[in-house]
Formats: sequence, structure tokens, C-alpha cells
Amino acid sequence: MKGIRPYLVITCSIALAGCEGTQSALDPHGPAAARIAILTWFLLGLATAVLGLVIAATWLAIGGPDSVRGWLGRQRTVVAGGIVFPTVVLSGLLIYGLWLMRADASTSTPDLRIAVTGEQWWWRVTYHLGDGRAIESANEIRMPVGRTVALTLTSPDVIHSLWIPSLAGKVDLIPGRSTTLRLKADRAGIYRGACAEYCGGPHALMALHAVAMPAQDFASWFSAHGATLPALDDAQTRGGQLFLSAGCGGCHAIDGTEARGIIGPNLTDLGSRQTIGAGLLPVSRENVARFVARGQHLKPGNRMPQFDIFSDEQLSDLASYLLAPKQSEPHD
Amino acid sequence: MIMRRAMRRFVLTVGATLLVLAAGGFLFAWSGLYNIAASRGHWAIVEWMLRFGMTNSVELHAVAIDPPDLHDRDLVTLGGNHYRGGCAYCHGAPGAKANPVSQAALPPPPDLSAVSDNWNDSQLFWIVKHGIKYTGMPAWVSQNRDSEVWAVVAFLKAMKTMSPDQYRALQPDPPPSAPAVEREAIASCGGCHGIPGERPRTGLVPVLDGQKRDYLIAALEDYANGARESGMMQPIASDLAPATIGALAAYYADRPPLEPADGISEADAEAGRALAIAGLPEAGIPACNTCHAGDALPSYPRLAGQSASYLAAQLRFLKAGARGSSGRSAIMTSIAQRLSEPQIDAAAAFYASSMPEQAAR
Repeated sequence: MKGIRPYLVITCSIALAGCEGTQSALDPHGPAAARIAILTWFLLGLATAVLGLVIAATWLAIGGPDSVRGWLGRQRTVVAGGIVFPTVVLSGLLIYGLWLMRADASTSTPDLRIAVTGEQWWWRVTYHLGDGRAIESANEIRMPVGRTVALTLTSPDVIHSLWIPSLAGKVDLIPGRSTTLRLKADRAGIYRGACAEYCGGPHALMALHAVAMPAQDFASWFSAHGATLPALDDAQTRGGQLFLSAGCGGCHAIDGTEARGIIGPNLTDLGSRQTIGAGLLPVSRENVARFVARGQHLKPGNRMPQFDIFSDEQLSDLASYLLAPKQSEPHD
Repeated sequence: MIMRRAMRRFVLTVGATLLVLAAGGFLFAWSGLYNIAASRGHWAIVEWMLRFGMTNSVELHAVAIDPPDLHDRDLVTLGGNHYRGGCAYCHGAPGAKANPVSQAALPPPPDLSAVSDNWNDSQLFWIVKHGIKYTGMPAWVSQNRDSEVWAVVAFLKAMKTMSPDQYRALQPDPPPSAPAVEREAIASCGGCHGIPGERPRTGLVPVLDGQKRDYLIAALEDYANGARESGMMQPIASDLAPATIGALAAYYADRPPLEPADGISEADAEAGRALAIAGLPEAGIPACNTCHAGDALPSYPRLAGQSASYLAAQLRFLKAGARGSSGRSAIMTSIAQRLSEPQIDAAAAFYASSMPEQAAR
């Protein structure tokens, strides 16, 4: 026991380090996640207490004084401990759980409605503006702090599950059905979510980031979709032409251009996103170029063909264009 | 006990004999006494033994090969043009004797005018595809292009009744007054791809007139360096100097595109129209026209006016991942794998009946 203690300490510290950060149910930043965390700790405490009782009873039953063993063996003790106790405790837990999680089933009107579609293997994100029109994005949800956001979840082909542990529990995305996940962030921050239901191929590389912004920042980010933007420089212009001539627009859309593909993610606001490839790599010119040219090595099995046909200069132009700020245009 | 001793003695004797034979064989080879000269020929019994083994091997290995219908004129024309460049030097052809140099090999390559009497279709296919060890017969350059091998088999069968004139007509004659590049185009490409201004002589190969220059260069370079496999195009492309590749590509790109061939039904073409123009987003299929019409990259091919059989065959190669290892192949492979068989035929029919635009160079 003495010999393994240092290793135990090290292992536990490493394991515990995983409990905090951008993707942890034990580090809640929203009311739903907080309730889950409370329930988790409560259940852990209760389970520990019950386990302690069972161990104590076992120990006494083997080596305890005859009077105690006799008492343990009585029919009334068995009925009380084996039937009445679990029934009462489990019923209590059920009631407590339902009471605690009651808010998650609420149907009050959310402040913002975002449609999230689980694609293979990325997240299609559509912001509904409330006037019947919508803005397209992907793999990232922007939300105002302190407001309730309802995510309408669907999937065209296979089952996914969206889990942003710091904000809420997981909800499945089921083909042919629409499910709802309500999110509310208490603090500004970037919270990572993952697909929590094996969906084939690069399922493990299908992440989503929820970016909670102060309400004013969110309002200005959201309304900036109509602002004037700097003109494209030469490299970006060349990249834009290459984007169209290389056929990228067959699958991807960039609002306000001829690229209107709907097979892959809308790339209009790529430059303002956290990651490319659904959480695969941080957004940077180098990483965008790498994903275009070596996508099947970086995310094996993903649905985008690998475009290993460009010169370094062309890749750099293309990435510059993709990262240039562009206007998302609402569509019907 | 006695049995065991006898057994042991027998094993030792056999072992020792084999050892002596092996050592003797090695010494014989080491001494150099064996005359390896092709001019010497084989003893009759050795000749018989070699032929006996070869025949049985071919018969056994070809037993499970299922031949397609080989009466298609397109197959015969394609196979005949390959035969002209790849086989006639050694095996001769209607009206043309094999070169005497080849006939001095051991064994001398056989005359093939009646070869289909000796071997059935599957056996011919196996021999052409795999070649034969210890003879000069090479394997097919690409082991992934069985349809090319079948074209040669189709020709071998047709050759039996082919007149010298019919055989000579496989090769168009360049007019002496034509510019050098046009003579090169007719001599190197015309037998299959047609003389400039005419549609290809076999529907199994692409139309070159009006195709984009960069695409033609990329295709020929891919063939020349093996990035795209073909037992027919690799030998031709690897013989072309880079300057000739550039000149041929520019020549064809400058030519006006050809009218599409007749014979595609409206209904077939209509089925492919939506796929070509709008794709099928729910199946992950982008519109073909995004890359294959308009101002797409110069290294992406134009498809309008190609034959349906060529387009469908290429899509199937792509779908099987067998078209080659170039970056462009990798892009199209992942898209072709989302196409169903009817979708392949529909898209091919649509482009085969479409009027091509003049390619921008």
C-alpha cells in the first residue's frame, strides 16, 4: 500500500485535472449544468453512504457479536433493509431528481432560437432572426450571457448527440425528429461540446464550441452582419477566384457570392470562428491551407475531398480569402 | 526394430541422392557449361515439357474468368490500335510480318492470326494480362484495367478474318501537307481518338478536340509517369517528349469542339440533367457543372460531347479508386463513390448529349 501511494496520488491528480476546463460537467457555467453537477455530487454522497452501510452490515454479519448477527438475520431486518429502504430512498431520489431538473423541461419562449443539424461529421448552425429569415454558420454557437437559447436539434441521416458539459446535459439528434436543448450561460466564455453518440468515421473529431458573449457584445456581433467591410486585397481576390474555379462552391456557400453549395458548411464567417474541421484545428491561415490540401490525413474519412492540387501560393491565397471578414446575409 | 532401421536407411539414401543432385546442378550452372544461347534452341523433349507446363498453367489459371461480350466494334478498334503499336512488332499482323529481330528470340513469338483457335477468350485474357514467364511475353502494364485487356482479346478474335486492308485502315494516314503537330496528332492519337474534326473511332476513348490544354497536359503527364494507369496510354505517353505533349495539348485545345454523337435517348439525358446542374445535396453530390463547365480550373476536364460509354467507364474507375493517384483523381474519387450506378449512367448520358462550349485555354 505504501509503495503505490505516490503513483495513486499522481494518477488521481492527472485524472482530476480533466475535471475542469472548457469541457467539464464538474465545472458548470450555466443553470442546467449546475443542477446536473449538484445531482452528481448528491448521488455520489448518497451512494457512498449506502455502500458504507452495506460494507458495515457485511462485516458485522461475518465477524460481529452473535446478538448483532441475529438481529441482521431476522426477517424484519431483511424486509426493512432489502425492500423498504431501497424503495423509500429510490422514490425520494426520483422525486428530488424530477424536482431539480424540472426547469429543463420548461417550454417558455426562449430569447434566441438556433437550429443545429448534426451532419457527418460537423454541425450545421442556423440562427433564426425571428422575422422568418435566418443566417447560416457551422460548428460554433454564439449566445448572449444570461439569456435562454433554444437549440432545435435534427439530423438528416444518423443519430448524433450534442453535449456541452459546462452548459447542459446531452440531447440526441435523431433523424426524422426534432429535439430541443436549452442553454444558458452564466458567464462569458468559450465552452466546448462534442458529439456524444458514435456516428461513424471521424465521430471523435466532431466538436462544437459555444461562445457566450456579454449581451451587448452579442447584439453588436449579431447586427454587424450588415456592416461595411474592408475590400479584399489582391491575395484574397485571387483566393476568391480560385475558390469558385476550383469548384469549392459546389459544396460550400459564401454569402453574397456565386458559391451557394449546401452540402458542406457555410464558410462566410469562417474567419471569426474558433476552429476549422469541427473543432479539429484552431483557425489560422496555415491550418486552413493544411485542411484543404491534407484534410483526409488530418480528419480521416471526412466527406470533403482532399484538394491536393494547389501550389503553396494558391493555398495561401485561398486561406486568406476564406479568413477575410465577410457579411453573412440572411436568407428565407 | 528392423523396420525402423530399414526406414532410416531409406530416408538417408533419398536425402543423400537429392543432395548430390542439387550439388551437381549447382556445379553445372557454376561451370558455365550450359549453353544459354537463344540461337541453340531447346532439345525436343525440353521444348515439349516447357510447352506442356505452360499450356496447363494457362488453362488452370483462366478457368474462373468470365468473358464479357467481345463482338463490340469499339472494342476491336481499340484493341487493334494497341495491337498495332504494342504487339505487331513481335507477333505480326494481317499483311505485316513480324520483325525478324523478334523472331530470333527463344521461343520465337508465335504468329497470332489464328490464335483464337488455340485458346479460348478467358485464356487469351489471362495471357495478355499476366504475360508468360521465361518467354518475352510481358504482363499488361496496368493490372487494374481489365477492360483494355478484353479489347485486345476482342481484336485477336477479329484478326482471324481481317484482311490486310482492314488492318491498315486502323491507322489513319496524315496528309503530307499538314503541319507537323497535326501529323503527330494523327499518327499518335488518330487511330483511336479520330483524325481532328472527326469523332473518335471507338466510343471507349475521349474526344480530344476542344478539350482544355492544361487538362490534356496533366492527363498525358499522369500517364507518362504512371500516376494514371493504362496499358494503352502509358506506353504512348511515356514516348512523347514534354515539348510534344505541350504542342499536342495546345493543338487539340485550339480545335473547335465536336457535335455530340447521336443515339442518346432524351429520357436518359434528362435524368442526368439535374445531377449535372444542381447535384443532389442530400446525397452529398455537388453539381457536376461546378467543376466541369464554365470557368472552372483549366486542369478540370470539359465533359460535354464525350461519349456516354467513355464517361461512364471513367466514373466507374473513379468509384473503384482505380483511375490513378493524382490529386485530381482523389477529388473525383470521393465524389464518384457517392454516385449510384443509375446516376453514373444518367450523368454520362447528359454530357454525351450536350453541346460543348469552346474551351477557354
